[in-house]
Amino acid sequence: MPVRTMRREMSPSLVIETEALSKVFGQQWALDGVNLKVAPGAIGLLGPNGAGKSTFMKCLLQLQPITSGSAKLLGREVGREGREIRKRVGYTPEQDCHIPGMVGCEYVTYCAQLCGLPFDAARQRAHEMLDFVGMGQERYRKVDTYSTGMKQRLKLAQAIVHDPEIVFLDEPTNGLDPKGQAQILELVHSLWKTYGITVVLSSHLLHDVDRICEQIIIIARGRVLVHDTLENLKSRKRGSAEVVVADRHHDLQAACARQQWPCELLPNGHVKVEHKCESLNPLLNLLHELKLAPLEIIPSPNALEETFVQALELSHAAT
Amino acid sequence: MPLHDISYKHWDGVHLGLWGRRLVIARNGLTACLRNKWLRHVVVLCWGTALIMTAFLFIVGQLLVADSIVVQWIGNFNPGLQSFARFLTTWLEQHPEISVRTTQNVLFYFFCTYLLRASIFVLGMAIPILITRDLASNAIIIYSSKAVSRGDYLLGKFSTAFGLMALTWLGPVCAAWFLGNLLTPDWRFFWHARTALWHVLVFGLSSMTLLSLIALGVSALAIKEKTTTAIWYIWWIVGGVVAPIAIHTQPWLQHLSFNYNLNQIALAVFHPGDDLTAAQDSIPVLGDMLRNIRPQTMTALNTPTFWGAVFWSLLMVGLAALIIRKRVKPE
Repeated sequence: MPVRTMRREMSPSLVIETEALSKVFGQQWALDGVNLKVAPGAIGLLGPNGAGKSTFMKCLLQLQPITSGSAKLLGREVGREGREIRKRVGYTPEQDCHIPGMVGCEYVTYCAQLCGLPFDAARQRAHEMLDFVGMGQERYRKVDTYSTGMKQRLKLAQAIVHDPEIVFLDEPTNGLDPKGQAQILELVHSLWKTYGITVVLSSHLLHDVDRICEQIIIIARGRVLVHDTLENLKSRKRGSAEVVVADRHHDLQAACARQQWPCELLPNGHVKVEHKCESLNPLLNLLHELKLAPLEIIPSPNALEETFVQALELSHAAT
Repeated sequence: MPLHDISYKHWDGVHLGLWGRRLVIARNGLTACLRNKWLRHVVVLCWGTALIMTAFLFIVGQLLVADSIVVQWIGNFNPGLQSFARFLTTWLEQHPEISVRTTQNVLFYFFCTYLLRASIFVLGMAIPILITRDLASNAIIIYSSKAVSRGDYLLGKFSTAFGLMALTWLGPVCAAWFLGNLLTPDWRFFWHARTALWHVLVFGLSSMTLLSLIALGVSALAIKEKTTTAIWYIWWIVGGVVAPIAIHTQPWLQHLSFNYNLNQIALAVFHPGDDLTAAQDSIPVLGDMLRNIRPQTMTALNTPTFWGAVFWSLLMVGLAALIIRKRVKPE
C-alpha cells in the first residue's frame, strides 16, 4: 500500500475540531467563537495580517492558552494531552527562532530528539530532512549565518523531522524571492499530495494558498468567514462581468435591460453586467447580436477572491 | 543531481520517554557550556585541585599511621616533627573516630567552600546559555512546539546548571574524598570519614539546588547575555563585599549575598567550630595554636545563622521562580 494512502487511512476523520474557540488579549478578541471541523488535507488558512491566523494555530499547539471554548487536534483534547499532541505535530513559526550557536544539522537533530527520537535516528532523520528541503553543505554552518531562505528551509526541516501527522506552517514564504517561494510551496505541496501529511498553511497571500491547498479557511477579525474546498469556492461565481467597450455604452445598457440583467456604468467607463449565468456565453452572444466588439471582458471574481477581499475590507474597517 | 534518495521518508521507531527528552535538554545545555574554552579551563582547575586535595589527604593519612613512609622520611630531617607525628599516631589509635572524622570534616569544609567559589564563577559563564539565549532567539517557541512542556524545559535547564556544578564542585570533592581515603594505609579511614562525606553531600546537594534555581532566575531576567552575566557577577562580588561590612551595621543585609547564606549553611552542616574545639581539647600542641584564633571568629564558626540563611535563600528561589514564571513563555 502506498505510504500516502496508508497515512490517510490512519488519520482521524477530523484533524481539527473547535467549538466556540475564543482568545482575548486585553480588550482585543483575537479569536471570536471559532467553530470548525477540518478533515485531513492541504488546508489554507487565509486572512489579512492580524486576522487571527497565527493565534488560531498557537491555541491549537498550546503556545497560547485558550480563553474559552474547546479544541481537539488529531482527535485529542488540546490542553489535556499537550505533549502527546505535539509529538505528532510539526510547526514552523513565522519569526526566526533558532537556537544560537548550533549548526544546521545539529539543530534539526536536537529538534528531533526533543520530539522523542533517539540520537542515532534523530541524526539520520535530520540529514534526510535537510536533503528533502534542499539544503546542501550549508547544513554544517552555524544557523546564525543563514540567509532568510535557508532559515525558512531549516524551519521546515525541523517541523517535519519527527514525521508528524500534521504540520502547521505560519507564513513559510515570508521574505523569500519568487524562486524560493515556489520551491518551498512545491515542498509543502508534496507533503500532502505525496506523503499524506496534513498541512495547514497560514498566509495572507491568496496566491500561495490557491496554489497548493484543497481546503480554505478564511479568517478576519478572529472569525471564520468561510470554510470550504477550493473547488467549491472557485465554482461559486455570482455571474457578473465588467465589459470594456470603446463606445456605445448606452446600447449595451439598453440591451442588458431588455434581458433583465441589471447593469451599471462604472466611473472607469466599464459596464458592469450581472448576467447571472455560470459562463460568459450568453453575454458574448448578446454582444455579437449588437455587433459590439468589446476591448476586454473581466469575469467576476470567484467566491474565494470575493471572500478574501471581504476579509481585507473587514480588516481595514477595523483599523 | 543528488546521488542518493532525497525524498521524504516516514519514521516509526520507538520514542524516547519523557525523562529521556528532559535529559536531551540538559545534555545539550552542558555541551553548549563546555564549548567555552575558559569554562573548560576552570573545570580542569577544579579537578586539579581535587588531585591536590587527594595528595594532601594521603600525607595526612600517612602522618596518622605508625611507621609510615612519611613519618620515617620526616624523621630524617626533623626528629621533633617525627615525635609530633608519633603523637598523632597515638591519638589515632586512642580516638580513631575523632581524629579522622575531625581532620577530614574540617578539611572538607574548607575544600567545599573553596570550590563553591569556583562553581559560582563557572555558573556565571553558563548563565547566558541557560535561558537568556533562548529568550533572545525565540527558541522558547521551538521548545514549546515540541513534545516537552515548559516544566520539562525548565527541569532540563535546571539539570544543566546542576550538572555543571556537579562537574566543578561536588564531583571533585567526592572524588578527593574517595581517592584520599583509598590511598591511606588503613581502610578504616573510609568508615571514620563517613561523616565528612555525609556533610559534603548534604551541603553540596542542597546548595547546588538553591544556586541552580537562583541562576535560572537571573538567566531569565534579560535577553542580553552581557546583562545577565553582569547581574550574576555583580551580585556575587557586591554581596561578598557588603556582607563583612553589614555585620557591624545591619546584620540582615548580609543575607542579601547568596554566597554568605551558603557559607552559613555550610557552617551549620559541617560544624567546624566543634571539631576545632575537640582538637583543642585532645591535642595540647594544637590547642596552643588554636587558642590564637580570635574569639569573634570562633563565635562566628560556632553560631551560624542557619535559619536566616535558609529563609533568605528560599526567598531568592521564590523570586527566581516568579521571574521564570513571568518571562519563560512562548510569547
